[in-house]
Amino acid sequence: MGALALYLRQVGAAIRVSFADRANFWLQLGGMTVNNGFVLLLWFMFFAGFRSVGGWRLADVALMIGILALSVGLAGVFAGGYRDMAAVILRDDVDALLTQPRAILPRLLARESIASAWGDVIVGAILLARFAALRWSDLPVLLFVLCGSLTVFLATGVLFASLAFWVRGARSFARDVVDFVILLSSYPGSIYSGAMKVVVYTFVPAGFVVLVPVAVLREHGLPGLLTMAGAAVGYAALAGTVFMAGLRRYRG
Amino acid sequence: MTSTRPLAAVERALAVLRVGADATLAGRAVLLGRGVFYLLVIALLATFWDLVAAERLPGTLSSLLPAGGLAVYVGVTEWITLSVPAIHLRLEDDIRSGAIEAHLLRPASYPVLRISESCGGLLVRQGMLGAIGVVALLLSGHAVPSAAMWICLVVLGVLGGFVGILLFALVGMSAFWLRRTIPIYLCVQKMSFLLGGLFAPLTLYPVWLRGISEASPFAAQLYWPAVIVVSPGAATVLRAFTYEVLWIAILSTLLAMIWRVGLQRMLRQGI
Repeated sequence: MGALALYLRQVGAAIRVSFADRANFWLQLGGMTVNNGFVLLLWFMFFAGFRSVGGWRLADVALMIGILALSVGLAGVFAGGYRDMAAVILRDDVDALLTQPRAILPRLLARESIASAWGDVIVGAILLARFAALRWSDLPVLLFVLCGSLTVFLATGVLFASLAFWVRGARSFARDVVDFVILLSSYPGSIYSGAMKVVVYTFVPAGFVVLVPVAVLREHGLPGLLTMAGAAVGYAALAGTVFMAGLRRYRG
Repeated sequence: MTSTRPLAAVERALAVLRVGADATLAGRAVLLGRGVFYLLVIALLATFWDLVAAERLPGTLSSLLPAGGLAVYVGVTEWITLSVPAIHLRLEDDIRSGAIEAHLLRPASYPVLRISESCGGLLVRQGMLGAIGVVALLLSGHAVPSAAMWICLVVLGVLGGFVGILLFALVGMSAFWLRRTIPIYLCVQKMSFLLGGLFAPLTLYPVWLRGISEASPFAAQLYWPAVIVVSPGAATVLRAFTYEVLWIAILSTLLAMIWRVGLQRMLRQGI
């Protein structure tokens, strides 16, 4: 069986497990949807009162949060293991995978599907379809930047979770960094300048998770597309390299 | 079995409060990380509101923004929000794992002990984050509140944090009925953000929502302690204090009732 087929089967099993307790599944999905609803209500109220912030209007923020919700949601549904990967490493659960002939990282990512992440997927899809002022012709670019955004987000999660191979306190740090990415991805890009701009395009790459995708969809420039592709490849390569280095250390 | 001597109960609660404070102090790295997060959040929100104020678009609510900006207001609301320990997770763990049974054998009320423990954590976090907030305020060049205002802020902020602990303890108690409290937690957290005025004073809200929000426990947690920096005055302070004490009484009563019902359910049919 190929690596992709194995991954899909494992993700399929993880999703079925998350569905198994129906009441819990619907409760988590509903809870996340309501949670996102409150955030959106805040933004709707804000733009009803102030109309604009640094040139960003409601449709731009809807696009930004739609991309963020879909990226975080898809990561949670199809690679939910990223969320607690540091804990898995620290608990030595990797041992069991080391005896098997398949790549370890995809198996760690596919070991869990987060039920509440479906709420993010639904809200993200509604926002992009209804409030983000996108046209059908934007669909190919949207799919492209969504892939890039998802890759950068997941790579960040893997990168910081991999620190658990070296540092015992990496669990809460990795989760905090991912939460930072989500937090910084929830505000219009116009508020970042100076040192904060450096942070959101490097250490906590909210810039590549939402800000570049929004710019690409609004401006349709080739440089934006190349930047997005470069960031996705760069962060994925960095996360893969750090994970493999950590794994070698763990084996040793 | 619970001791009937009130003084002994208070002493026990204070001892557990010290344990909670010591445990929070022991996690220095976590405390420091929370401090960095606090700085980041207030820098972000202060910049955000400064940008909104700078635009001054005609026909918008910009004219209602205070002259000094909202940096101090969001500094206070975030100070309280980030200081409240995750008591709901503690309750959920104990209830789901069955560890709560061991506590029931002890001569002390389980919810009181957990709340006291969280209050210890709250005080340490508020002390640390408060110090960071004050230093950041002094360095930022924003107007600094008067000495009397600082005293009011400390009193109302601690009471607001206590309202937060009671709210999240209620979330934790839902574990008697639900396997996971996270969906309820997320809803309560976001209601706290919205109705509590975490990002903006309720005075900027539409009239219909403002009335509901002001009377909610979420406003007692965040808005009322923070609003005194944008609308100073004895009447505001008194109103804030009244709302906080009222909600502490209501939430404590509700918590005691839910604890009794939940415990009966657990003893009757398990989790």
